[in-house]
Amino acid sequence: MSDQQLNNLIKMLDQIIANNLHYGDDDKVTDVAADHLHKFWARSMKQLIIAHADQSPEELSGLARSTVIKLKTHINR
Amino acid sequence: MMHYYDPGTQSYEPGKDGLNPDFDSFSRDLGTPPSLSEELVSISVDGRDITVPEGTSVLRAAALAGINIPKLCASDNLEAFGSCRLCAVEIEGRRGYPASCTTPVAEGMSVTTQTGKLAKLRRNIMELYISDHPLDCLTCPANGNCELQDVAGVVGLREVRYGFDGKNHLDAETDSSNPYFSFDPSKCIVCSRCVRACDEVQGTFALTIEGRGFDSKVVASQNDPFMDSECVSCGACVQACPTSTLMEKSVIDAGQPEHSIVTTCAYCGVGCSFKAEMKGDQVVRMVPYKGGEANHGHSCVKGRFAFGYATHEDRIREPMIRDSINDPWKVVSWDEALAFAAKKLKDTQAQYGRESIGGITSSRCTNEETYLVQKLVRAAFGNNNTDTCARVCHSPTGYGLKTTLGESAGTQTFDSVMKADTIMVIGANPTDAHPVFGSLMRKRLRQGAKLIVIDPRRIDLVHTPNAEEGLHLPLRPGTNVAIVNALAHVIVTEGLEDQEFINSRCDTEAHNTWRTFIAEERNSPEAMEAVTGVPASKVREAARLYAKAGNGAIYYGLGVTEHSQGSTMVMGIANLALATGNIGKEGGGVNPLRGQNNVQGSCDMGSFPHELPGYQHVNDQAVRERFEAVWGVPIDNEPGLRIPNMFDAAIAGSFKALYVQGEDIAQSDPNTQHVEAALKALDCLIVQDIFLNETAKFAHVLLPGSTFLEKNGTFTNAERRINRVRKVMEPVAGMEDWEVTMALSNALGYPMHYNHPSEIMDEIASLTPTFTGVNYDKLEQLGSIQWPCNDEYPDGAPTMHTVDFPIGKGRFAVTEYLATEERASRRFPLLLTTGRILSQYNVGAQTRRTSNSDWHEEDVLELHPSDAELRGVKDGDWLGISSRVGHTVLRAKVSTRMLPGVVYTTFHHPSSGANVVTTDNSDWATNCPEYKVTAVQVEKVSQPSDWQRNFVDFDKRQQSLLKPAMESEGDSYANALK
Repeated sequence: MSDQQLNNLIKMLDQIIANNLHYGDDDKVTDVAADHLHKFWARSMKQLIIAHADQSPEELSGLARSTVIKLKTHINR
Repeated sequence: MMHYYDPGTQSYEPGKDGLNPDFDSFSRDLGTPPSLSEELVSISVDGRDITVPEGTSVLRAAALAGINIPKLCASDNLEAFGSCRLCAVEIEGRRGYPASCTTPVAEGMSVTTQTGKLAKLRRNIMELYISDHPLDCLTCPANGNCELQDVAGVVGLREVRYGFDGKNHLDAETDSSNPYFSFDPSKCIVCSRCVRACDEVQGTFALTIEGRGFDSKVVASQNDPFMDSECVSCGACVQACPTSTLMEKSVIDAGQPEHSIVTTCAYCGVGCSFKAEMKGDQVVRMVPYKGGEANHGHSCVKGRFAFGYATHEDRIREPMIRDSINDPWKVVSWDEALAFAAKKLKDTQAQYGRESIGGITSSRCTNEETYLVQKLVRAAFGNNNTDTCARVCHSPTGYGLKTTLGESAGTQTFDSVMKADTIMVIGANPTDAHPVFGSLMRKRLRQGAKLIVIDPRRIDLVHTPNAEEGLHLPLRPGTNVAIVNALAHVIVTEGLEDQEFINSRCDTEAHNTWRTFIAEERNSPEAMEAVTGVPASKVREAARLYAKAGNGAIYYGLGVTEHSQGSTMVMGIANLALATGNIGKEGGGVNPLRGQNNVQGSCDMGSFPHELPGYQHVNDQAVRERFEAVWGVPIDNEPGLRIPNMFDAAIAGSFKALYVQGEDIAQSDPNTQHVEAALKALDCLIVQDIFLNETAKFAHVLLPGSTFLEKNGTFTNAERRINRVRKVMEPVAGMEDWEVTMALSNALGYPMHYNHPSEIMDEIASLTPTFTGVNYDKLEQLGSIQWPCNDEYPDGAPTMHTVDFPIGKGRFAVTEYLATEERASRRFPLLLTTGRILSQYNVGAQTRRTSNSDWHEEDVLELHPSDAELRGVKDGDWLGISSRVGHTVLRAKVSTRMLPGVVYTTFHHPSSGANVVTTDNSDWATNCPEYKVTAVQVEKVSQPSDWQRNFVDFDKRQQSLLKPAMESEGDSYANALK
């Protein structure tokens, strides 16, 4: 993993969340964002963002952290 | 729908399907265009009864009855003109000898086409023509294919009483300025067919008849050489010419062709049908095929003339390998190259894991080839790391249309535009990028349809000759969603919605949510004016024009998709169409104009990492099980890497090998230096291409590709039309692209066995719900098929969503505008947007190896006069263009096409480095790059950029590493020819 790769993933995640804020409710926003990651991100990308959220949660926004937690649930289903 | 008369039944059936598999029927010229009337009229021609639609000319009716009246100025793709008078007939009860081309049929009419008086009249006319025509038939390039010669024979011309010494035009000089055709006015009979073809078919109005009487002559623009005129070299005039006045230079050089094969053009997403006219295995000329449902016999400068790249000396003719990109290429056998590639791929997976390799399918290759590459990745590589260049063009279309309409495709046929009352073009430039469709659109505009253009640049379409000026909304780059929301706001708040359509066809909850959002004042044109730069009054006018049109059609291109909110904008467009009921009917619709020939097909065929063929998601277990049953291996249930993700992973060290078929990612993808770093990081890059393209310079295995002329298969154009590609010559390296992928798969140990692409299509049909009815027999029978083609639509579906949507109800989507992060600043005060021009195609690998470069030798930077003046820039100055990721240098072209603050360039030449400055910002949903918005600074410079100097050095180095291999393969090629 490179910093650039991780930075790009964080940027993409923030972008996905920003484009779904119109749902208003944080729970709904993170549901939609997590579902998007589940459907469109490769396994390795998911693993990287989950690992980063586990190791350095403070580097993610609150909504991004919640999204990644929900993504983990998707994977564990 | 066009109706064709069936000579077998001698009657006309209204509503009969117009598809006609008989190619020969389209080689006849019936003299005048068909009438679309449903009313029928019966007449008698030389005693034969015939029933035809009202409005049909006597000339056409006679031709349909099998009677060919002599003609010279008439052609069935042009309106009747009535100038040559050769088609004169006698009509019972009428005086004189009316021209049959301009005389419409009338009930009970009795026509005689051959009498002594008519014969004498026709001979007299021909005598006059021939008295001013060189009698060099045996050495004339039209010999064997000259209508003047044919008519002279038909009318029985035996002498020219006037002699040949009178005043004439025989000394008129030939204009050879155009690289593809010559204009020899000494052969001209001034029938005006070329002028009318330029007007009516192409819509450029570059040709006119200058002078009067005997001095009348055809001229280009203001009597300029063709090359300096407004002529766009579409070839319509050449095709229309009944003599050798306008003649392809390839025919002048080679002589008349002796056989022809109908196939599909491999340039843009229009997918024109062409007759490849051949002598042996050499293409003499490409003639647009009248039976082609996408082009109806029209063409552009690329498809018509720019096919010479297929036999260019740069073609890679044998497989090559090397261990390092610093090593010379070594020519090897196919077996050795494939074994080398397979070992590299296997070793990479053994060392770095199953997901460390991937493949990129081609939007230029056939459906069957694309299908095989993604199958190779999923079945033989065992992962879903497959993507296509649609990632960088229309991936947002896939996402946006699937979300709102339930299917990732445009909704209409091209012909549908002829029923549109208002045409809205957003971020597309049809007359340059989709020229044949651009001509059809212009035809409709000349008939009175209204035009709205939403684009930062003033494209040519805005001013269409002989049509009302279009309403141009020159928005700031990056503000598409703001303007589409403002348009929708007007429609909703001014009560312009189609309530009946919304109530019956759309999801109520989604509509209510969207309606509440869009009606908010912040989405009004007035509120958005500060964002978009477009006056609110213009936006309101455009919204009313579209919503009140009757039939409103939207056409869009990469100016919509290649943005950070590309997917949002596609959904915004779908919202407009749903709100106004412009879905499911001819004349309306949402129409993505696809850039490359098979973008639609490559997406349909499962190239994206999250979808199997037919847009079926990989995490759907039932779907996977169907594929697994046929492919015999398990399929990964997780999506794979997309192209930009592959680059990031390569630089990070987890992605190590890539198989690229027919794409040039090193030139076409954004942030070139990032792409180059990724390619250099790979342990194994396998490139299958027809040339050593920019990507291949980083490769370890080079597999020779085949051009569209060298293979069988199908392309799917922007209107979902599956067209046959037919092999007209053998592949230079002995294998078609699908055979290469098959051989690579076999070398990897995953068996693939197909004898012909038709067998691949059968497999596709067995696994893809929208293709179950598609097979090669049906394609031969129908000519082409617009998917979906299945039990519900056995012959295909020209218009989609006529009854319902694949997701049941249409779903409005909330489209909140978010400004891109790529904003102009003090350091980068201008916004760069990129595009393409008529004569070049995409990365230019094909067109740069043809005379099309005569029109566009280099990419230039267009900038507004005020921005130029501020920097002391004039035309031709070298300009340095800097963005936050890179710097390149181009020549300046001062232009008022854009607003101040916006600059524009193309990316057809690799040395331009246009993508050195574009960033890796991308669409939030699909990672489609934001090519259309890059903040830049521009200043005068005196030398190329560092990247350009490095490019030249690297190119020289790579060419020198290729040269020995090319010379050795050249020797073996020459030996094979002996």
